[in-house]
Amino acid sequence: MSVAVSTVALTEVLAEVVGAEHLLTDPAAREGCAVDGRAPRWVARPADAQQVSRLVMVAHAEGLAVAPRGSGSSVGLGNPPARLDLVMDLTRLDQIEDHAPADMVASVGAGARLDVLDGTFAAAGQMLPLDPAGGEQRTVGGVLATGSSGPRRFRYGTGRDLLLGVRFVQADGTVTWGGARVVKSVTGYDVPKLMVGALGTLGVIVSATLRLHPRPAAAGSWLLSFGSPAAAESLVAALLDSAIEPDRIALVDAGARRRAGLGDGGWAALVSIGSVAEAVASQGAALARLGARHNADVGAAPESAWPALGRALEGPVRLRVGCEVRRVVHWMRELGRLGADGAGEPSAVAEAGNGVIHLALGGATAGTADAVRRLREALAPEGGSAVVERAPATLKAGLDAWGPAPPGAFALMERLKREVDPLGVLNPGRFVGGL
Amino acid sequence: MPLTAAFLAELGGIVGPDALIATPEGRLAYEADMHVFYRGMPDAVVLPSTAAQVVAVVRLCRREAVPVVPRGSGTGIIGGAMAPTGGVTVSMNRMNRILELDFRNRCAVVEPGLINLWLSNATRPHGYYFAPDPSSQMVSSIGGNTGTNAGGPHCLKYGITTNHVLGVQVVTGAGELVWLGGKVQERPGYDLTGVTVGSEGTLGLVTAVAVRLLHEPEAVKTLLASFPTLDDASETVSAIIAAGIVPSALEIIDEFFVRAIEEGVGAGYPKGAGAVLLIELDGPREEIEAQAHRIVPLCREHGALEIRVARDEAERALLWKGRKEAAGVVGRMSPNWLLQDAVVPRSRLPEIMRRMQAIAARHGIRIANVFHAGDGNLHPMVLYDDRVPGELERARAANDELLRECLALGGSVTGEHGVGLDKAEAMPLQYEPADLAFMARLRRCFDPDGVMNPGKLLPDHPACGEGFRQRLPELPPGAWV
Repeated sequence: MSVAVSTVALTEVLAEVVGAEHLLTDPAAREGCAVDGRAPRWVARPADAQQVSRLVMVAHAEGLAVAPRGSGSSVGLGNPPARLDLVMDLTRLDQIEDHAPADMVASVGAGARLDVLDGTFAAAGQMLPLDPAGGEQRTVGGVLATGSSGPRRFRYGTGRDLLLGVRFVQADGTVTWGGARVVKSVTGYDVPKLMVGALGTLGVIVSATLRLHPRPAAAGSWLLSFGSPAAAESLVAALLDSAIEPDRIALVDAGARRRAGLGDGGWAALVSIGSVAEAVASQGAALARLGARHNADVGAAPESAWPALGRALEGPVRLRVGCEVRRVVHWMRELGRLGADGAGEPSAVAEAGNGVIHLALGGATAGTADAVRRLREALAPEGGSAVVERAPATLKAGLDAWGPAPPGAFALMERLKREVDPLGVLNPGRFVGGL
Repeated sequence: MPLTAAFLAELGGIVGPDALIATPEGRLAYEADMHVFYRGMPDAVVLPSTAAQVVAVVRLCRREAVPVVPRGSGTGIIGGAMAPTGGVTVSMNRMNRILELDFRNRCAVVEPGLINLWLSNATRPHGYYFAPDPSSQMVSSIGGNTGTNAGGPHCLKYGITTNHVLGVQVVTGAGELVWLGGKVQERPGYDLTGVTVGSEGTLGLVTAVAVRLLHEPEAVKTLLASFPTLDDASETVSAIIAAGIVPSALEIIDEFFVRAIEEGVGAGYPKGAGAVLLIELDGPREEIEAQAHRIVPLCREHGALEIRVARDEAERALLWKGRKEAAGVVGRMSPNWLLQDAVVPRSRLPEIMRRMQAIAARHGIRIANVFHAGDGNLHPMVLYDDRVPGELERARAANDELLRECLALGGSVTGEHGVGLDKAEAMPLQYEPADLAFMARLRRCFDPDGVMNPGKLLPDHPACGEGFRQRLPELPPGAWV
């Protein structure tokens, strides 16, 4: 069998690149790295950018399809792969290559875990403000490539605002650099932005140079409970239109609140302020006054309430909805209907100041795909989207994970993908529009 | 490359006769931006008033292989909005409307010719502002700011233009009209908005911009500290940043400028100061008070001669006056100068300033500085007199050496002005051939035939058409740093 011969030969080549102990071919390892039920032929665990480059070179030459992988937490994002031969587990690229506290900049391997990094940066009084739900164990490369965000986005932006420079491996194995190692640079095209949220389809991120921020000296969190979604809406609008400067605003529906262990009191907003102690106190007091004016019940909340939001978003189906900031409550209510046909109680957590809603469903029914399609149609006029981040194979089989992209912009995306990965080596088929 | 009568007629048909400039004296005003070295007159200038006209112009130029040069207010300083190989300059000044103010979504949609400051003037009564504030903001356009990814003093805390652009409507070099991004921040797909910002008109022509608006802070506090030496001021900047404080602005004005500003506009800077450090804090009142309480001793520890704190808006304006007038007084120091805006890691600021003095001494020229110290973004002005034989050459050598020193410290070629024609050949100092090849591929996707602003941003393009001028004209009436 020529395929078998070829597989044996390729296994030798790949093992030579990463070392036999880091090339996994046993069924358990391969099944463990399956993407949408499709197991790769190999799982390679490269040690550095050079090995990633050589693996991709082999793939490029031999027509193999490669899927980069971080912690595996978001492997469900995207359409089922068109082809899949090699999963590249990047968790060995976990070095902090450089941390210059006085510059508030760090360069780290793509496989570095957020919790490990946080320990290092905290020691210098700094932080990398990327806080996607359940993200502590996730890798920097994975968080960037999947465009994941969390409540800190409100003050600090997303990966696109924090990624100053990026080293990536192109589809032909060429190691490439974009951006700079300083906090301000406009030298040439802003290539790092292309790597954020691209799911590794334009290049495999191997190292990231990131802007860090000072860790606030003091922080406080408050839970504001509302009698109705309308009250939540007016409070959030008033908060955004005030001189109060929260660093996080999360709006939760009744289901999410309960699952996060924040009580049974219906809709609520979890708001935190990070600053010096005096400002936390005065801004917190201003927040309480604002809450009172909007008939909200305001109470202090522990810092642990934030990671608990991640629990509210666990489940077999997860959506990420983008909408106008002013429409967040409207869409949270619409999303609440997705559970009506028996798909299980929905649970929604919104980055309310940024127009992002994360939704978890207890399951999918025969009607879920149509419901998501209708939701997308309704979101389209304002430029909104509903991305399926996680779903059972049955749901994904009949539903595009990303939804339609605007045709004009998509034509450019398609040209870009063809230009930089004409053979479809990197995650073929998984991205928007099947790119 | 003179345009044919038929081409001009077609061009005039698209934009209307009052929006076409074809006479040599009319075109002359468009032969340069604020970088006086680079001259290149377009063969025609159009002033479109709609995106549809822009589409038609780009399609016509593409069909006839005529270069398209986008231009805002022409205040750039990189040889960007000029036509080295001729072609059609598309001046966006007439497309200057605010299309929508949407405070509930904290954003605005504007046409590219809108003057930067006009947007904040329109939004401040509602408690909002547009954060990017290049020193040229009273004349530069938001489209130009988007094209160059402009910065400004307050970018230290709030980021540069790209952090404030949510979407762009763009006419690509292929003549397509597309919206990339928009009011909704979360969108699947490649971040093409992110690469369009800062692309200097080489990917397409921006015809509308959706920008983020920020809420006005509760309070602002402005301090001015003077120091015996530039070194002391630089060390103070590094100490403030290292203390975990991110002021909204941290500006250094060196001795040359302090003297010229005092002679020129009299900002009341202390006599004998070797450097002045302007510090602005904004945010919750208690926060900035606490930060000021930490900053003042840091200034003292580094030898501050005097520290002033503005007590009201009038005093604040006075403290800023010298900084804002800096460019206007440069003529007092020198008939000619070269300006660059390389960046160093901010902790290396004292080191690069020392090296800069050594470079100046070695080449026998003076280098004056007024710059965004907090993010390591230098703005050295290499002073020379082009009537003195050899001075320009020495100035250029010093400028070049300084750029290389910045990169050797791990810096960047340009922090906010952009690449344009001026720094295209310096790109290989920061990027390997593979990195540049990737950028070239990106460019091809938007502009397959290379009609958009050719010669800019990437190296290996034909150099400036009308050539580098040894003999320089008078200084421009104003230039912004």
